Amino acid sequence: MAVLSELRSPRSGPRAVNPLHEPGGPDDALVRAAQSGDRAAFGLLYARYSRMVHGILLARVPFSDIDDLVQDVFLQALPRLADLREVSRFPGWLASIARNRATDFHRRVKPNEKFDEESASVQTEQRVPSSRHSSHSSAEAHAVLEAIRSLPDAYRESLILRLVEGMTGPEIAARTGLTHGSVRVNLHRGMLQLREILARKASPATGGAL
Amino acid sequence: MTTNPTDPEKEKMMTENYLWDASSAPDPEIQRLESLLADFRQADRALVLPAEMPAVHHRFRTVLVHMLSVPRLAAAATILLALGVTLFFALRPKPEPDSGSAWDVANLEGAPQIGTKTIAAHQAPAKLHVGQTIVTNADSRASLSQTDLGEIRIDPNSRLRLVQTDANRKRIQLDVGTIHAAIWAPPGTFVVDTPSAVAIDLGCSYTLQVAPDGSGTLRTTLGWVGFHLNGRDSFIPAGAMCSTRPALGPGIPYFEDATPAFRQAIAQFDSASQDSPAHSAALSMILSEARAHDSLSLWHLLTRATGPERAKVYTRFAALVPPPRGVTRSGILNLDQSMLDLWWNSLGLGEISLWRYWEQSASPQPSPNSHQVPQKKQSSLEDMP
Repeated sequence: MAVLSELRSPRSGPRAVNPLHEPGGPDDALVRAAQSGDRAAFGLLYARYSRMVHGILLARVPFSDIDDLVQDVFLQALPRLADLREVSRFPGWLASIARNRATDFHRRVKPNEKFDEESASVQTEQRVPSSRHSSHSSAEAHAVLEAIRSLPDAYRESLILRLVEGMTGPEIAARTGLTHGSVRVNLHRGMLQLREILARKASPATGGAL
Repeated sequence: MTTNPTDPEKEKMMTENYLWDASSAPDPEIQRLESLLADFRQADRALVLPAEMPAVHHRFRTVLVHMLSVPRLAAAATILLALGVTLFFALRPKPEPDSGSAWDVANLEGAPQIGTKTIAAHQAPAKLHVGQTIVTNADSRASLSQTDLGEIRIDPNSRLRLVQTDANRKRIQLDVGTIHAAIWAPPGTFVVDTPSAVAIDLGCSYTLQVAPDGSGTLRTTLGWVGFHLNGRDSFIPAGAMCSTRPALGPGIPYFEDATPAFRQAIAQFDSASQDSPAHSAALSMILSEARAHDSLSLWHLLTRATGPERAKVYTRFAALVPPPRGVTRSGILNLDQSMLDLWWNSLGLGEISLWRYWEQSASPQPSPNSHQVPQKKQSSLEDMP
């Protein structure tokens, strides 16, 4: 096994301008290069798309399993790249593999093991050494994540990519293969529903902290 | 992927520029959420690749690289390439207007046809649209692919039609012939209608064969497949196969490594009339030959056998695979679905909730994910229980 240590995914916040995205240009060339066996090109694709894959998985599976699943998604995509005839469809294709991997993850979970982010939160906190938040804030963060996860698929995916992964709307569209219009609507409606859920949780009657 | 917004909604959306691209003044509420959720963001982690990266074998490219190493050949190659590119763009057919929902069809061998039009070899993939039929003769093969779905290889002497393709369901109808499907779409997305059963992919690779008389055989190599007709379900996990016949539907699935006597008895049980001595003899043979691994077949026999026969199947099945907690003899003999499901799940062959989910979702429901492609009503789908 070889590690492409120089090809790490960026960890950055939202940007008004996305320097990585030039529609139809460099990514298509990268996909073609990766199809011909260029390891560095595939590593660059990982760097550009791993946040999207991470976000899609975070919308569906426990946080503690996501890093390994991100790797799985790219390793599943690698041998199948040859079958991708239209390189411009790479973003949607990769997003589908990520969603499929999340479904497969749940299929392998024992029937009586329910997905429970609360129980996974201990592992989560252990895995987040740089956490800037108090335990109270961490609990609040989990509650917000759960609220997002309770939204319909399209909304939660777009919101997680925006609020967690720090991608902008245009970047989400480019990375997932969705249109700008769809992403804009998903973000808008998702945010509306999220506000409603958080408002309900924050009401004094429920004793919520949000 | 979503429904059209109303005019006031559009206006509101356009003012949410911080949510859209962070280009306007920060929205404090969104900023607070971003800050709260930042710890869930992807950590900086390198991709670990296998030492050997699979390469695509482009013979043409390899030849070209060799040619380019010789200057005169390089010049000739450049001229030829320029001519080729010019001719390609001049002569290529105009793309279909709705090619986004069409599937790619490639010629693998011979002269497969879409309708009456032959798919040329060594050219860009042709498009198969909903309602169109692809036919292979004795000397031709083709492949059908869709980025979100996977790939289907079509053997000689086959005929299939694209019935439906939208975000939630991809459906073909295989009238006759053989297909090899490798599917990466979510379980329950890919459905194949045949004259004697409907095959529902539950995350896998499989081969489906349909004979001219409408009977069929399904072999699963990865994951599992559901086979359905008129309320009769069979689940076929990797390593197993199942036959199906018109009007009767899917038979009892079995693992291909079962003993010849067991396999023969399964075939006899499926074909003999229920009150015949051959039927009883086949059941006796199945029960005596069954190994624990053959519990796949015994589980299906519970719903196919009736009266005292079902009790015999229960006894043998319970001896090979003890029923899990919550499963009782009387419940199974009365075909309690939740108990049957519990026992199936204990076999470790696939999570049956996937199938139940598919059954529930078979009726189209509005979803924010649904692609706005008009759906044709598929009687066999809506007839699902």
